[in-house]
Amino acid sequence: MTSNPMHRRTVLGGAAALAAGFALAGCGDSGDGDGRAPRERKKGQKINLTFWSWVPGIDKPVDLWNRKNPEVQVKVEKVSAVNGEQYAKMHAAVKAGNPPDLGQIEFPVIPSFLLDNGLLDLAPLGAARHKDKFFGWQWQQSVFGKGIYAVPQASGPMGLFVRQDLFDEWGVRTPTTWDEYEAAAKAVRRKGAWIETFAPTNGNRFSGLAWQAGAKWYANHGDTWIVHIDDEPTRRVADYWESLVKQKLVKTIPDRQNAWYKDLQTGAIAAWVGASWGDALLVGNAPGTKGRWRAAPLPQWQAGGKDFANWGGSTTAVFAKASYPKDALDFAVWLNTDPESIALLIDGGYGFPSAKKGYSTADLDVDKAFFGGQAYSKIFADAGAHVDTSWQWGPGVDTLYQRLGDAFTDALADGSSFRSALTKVQGQTLADLKGKGLKVESGG
Amino acid sequence: MSRDTLSRAAPVAPGRPAPRRRPRRATRTEARNARAAACFVLPFLAVFCLCFLAPIVYALHQSLYTTERTGPLGLGGREHEAFAGLANYAQALSDGRFLAGFGRVLLFGAVQIPLMLVLATALALLLESAGARAVTFFRSAFFLPYGVPGVIASILWGFLYVPGISPLVKIAGALGWDVDFLSRGSVLWAIANIVVWQFTGYNMLVLIAQLKAVPGELYEAARIDGANAWQVARHIKLPLIRPALVLTTVFSIIGTLQLFAEPMVLRPLASSIDSGFTPNLHAYSEAFVGNNQHVAAAEAVLLALVACGLSFGFLRLVGGRAKDRG
Repeated sequence: MTSNPMHRRTVLGGAAALAAGFALAGCGDSGDGDGRAPRERKKGQKINLTFWSWVPGIDKPVDLWNRKNPEVQVKVEKVSAVNGEQYAKMHAAVKAGNPPDLGQIEFPVIPSFLLDNGLLDLAPLGAARHKDKFFGWQWQQSVFGKGIYAVPQASGPMGLFVRQDLFDEWGVRTPTTWDEYEAAAKAVRRKGAWIETFAPTNGNRFSGLAWQAGAKWYANHGDTWIVHIDDEPTRRVADYWESLVKQKLVKTIPDRQNAWYKDLQTGAIAAWVGASWGDALLVGNAPGTKGRWRAAPLPQWQAGGKDFANWGGSTTAVFAKASYPKDALDFAVWLNTDPESIALLIDGGYGFPSAKKGYSTADLDVDKAFFGGQAYSKIFADAGAHVDTSWQWGPGVDTLYQRLGDAFTDALADGSSFRSALTKVQGQTLADLKGKGLKVESGG
Repeated sequence: MSRDTLSRAAPVAPGRPAPRRRPRRATRTEARNARAAACFVLPFLAVFCLCFLAPIVYALHQSLYTTERTGPLGLGGREHEAFAGLANYAQALSDGRFLAGFGRVLLFGAVQIPLMLVLATALALLLESAGARAVTFFRSAFFLPYGVPGVIASILWGFLYVPGISPLVKIAGALGWDVDFLSRGSVLWAIANIVVWQFTGYNMLVLIAQLKAVPGELYEAARIDGANAWQVARHIKLPLIRPALVLTTVFSIIGTLQLFAEPMVLRPLASSIDSGFTPNLHAYSEAFVGNNQHVAAAEAVLLALVACGLSFGFLRLVGGRAKDRG
């Protein structure tokens, strides 16, 4: 082909101009100007709200709402909750300026979204009047300063699931303290099975265990964040699990994935330190073990102690760019307090309700037969009543989980101590928060 | 081809003076051709700019900025973007996990690329040899894995790797070999296996295409000279598919540096894959887990630079000869 250099240059010049145009458009987008100012719905006006969630069975209460409120139609869009992908998607949507109206957001990650100004402060809408409908500490999880940033939905008080049939057969008593747990781990190991896995990448559960031991990872003084990931209680938890790992009393495979489910099905793993929502997980993934499981209180650091913690727990949050914030808040409150809605959510297996009323503890025993007829929800309700409510989350918990996962992965690989992993994570977290432009101090 | 055109065109006007009108007409035709060409090229250029240049420019821009926050506890305050110079690059380069990811993919490439290309070449030569049977079937069969998206392939192989479910692990166990494909030491090679499975057939096809372009006279001449099949492969086919080999190597180098889907999918299954297993995974984690798009942009730019450096470095290494036959 013959080509005329003149023409080629013209075309290239045009391309460059075009590219520059796109780049400028790109910059323009990241500015503050947005045309989606919050609006008030006129009487009789029909609106649509979108709601990103991954909770199983969430569509049922939403359908109920849609039947009762023809003017405010809520559309559920399911998001993946694997490895925090849902938050990646939400962060990206906030950044791009097109988030949904409502989102399912867990307690620990609320501050991360506040960093982005991603959530709407519900206080000016009078959200405080709903406060008494919920358990105080769960309401408090989304209160920062004077702002109220979400409506609590459910919590996940932690407990211990055991294969009672295997424990009985092997003559192992259900442990009530962590010392007994270690002894039980040894006994189970002698029978060729494992009591558990320490999943290095599960920062969520590790934080729950630290919470139980009395750790305080985040606090604030004035406008400064105090971070203390490697405090004494956390070290104690880290030492404990490191010792179990080094004695080869626990597996180190990731939990809640196929290999782990398989181990649950075959009895290769005979127990699980889980949370109230774990019943649905066991029923769904190890149906063949029906009737053989029992729930027990989380083992204690001191015999007779009553220290419990929370794993999971989430809220319904309204995004800052929601078109009709008042209606979104109304929906969020209805979803989490209306008795009919709660009943449907319980059926789906969403966890322990944050609302105080509208159900009874016995309603939560969805799969009694799976647990040999045990009224297992009582155990979790009791745990929930004793959760240390002074625990506070801080910004960047998703990054923190990843840091913890990486550090424990490294420690497992090179045999270094879990304590040194905590020290590393503490340093990294301080740097991360400074990098985000926050005032941070080490609590150490 | 251009030489052919010249020699064929030459006898048309031997010694005859060229008509005066001709250059002018040629210019007009050329102009028309160029206009037509521009029309054909424009749609491509538009998409190219939108999907390729614009993101690069945007990433470059993002990599030079950082987010600053104000307000009590940094919550609820206004955030704004401030020029950061090369601070994001400095942060990326001082991150041990990010650099370790580079080391890992380089090691991966040094082993996996030669292995895959030797396999692809062997398969291509076998399928193009005179004695080959059921060529179409085998060609499709070898190529088929390329049709499986990387994510799906990783999920499939994930099932074959996970202990407790994998038949491979079970068989190995029955033979007294306690194997863990997902352990720290072996997971990189488990991923290499997926990539080899996926891309050998594709590279084989590129090589076959080049082999098909080899003129039959050459084989005929070789046969007349008494060359056997092995000698034909060694002295005719291999030297002639060199440009295709160079091309597939460059593609493989770029693909290796961009390794992402396989470790991303296997991560929930393996305790041994951290958030910075490959540079691309690290950039993803920075952007979407840590919500630090600016640092992630800097990492993406660094990754692109390394990919460019290695690709052009390789091209330089093998010399300009490859260009003749592109």
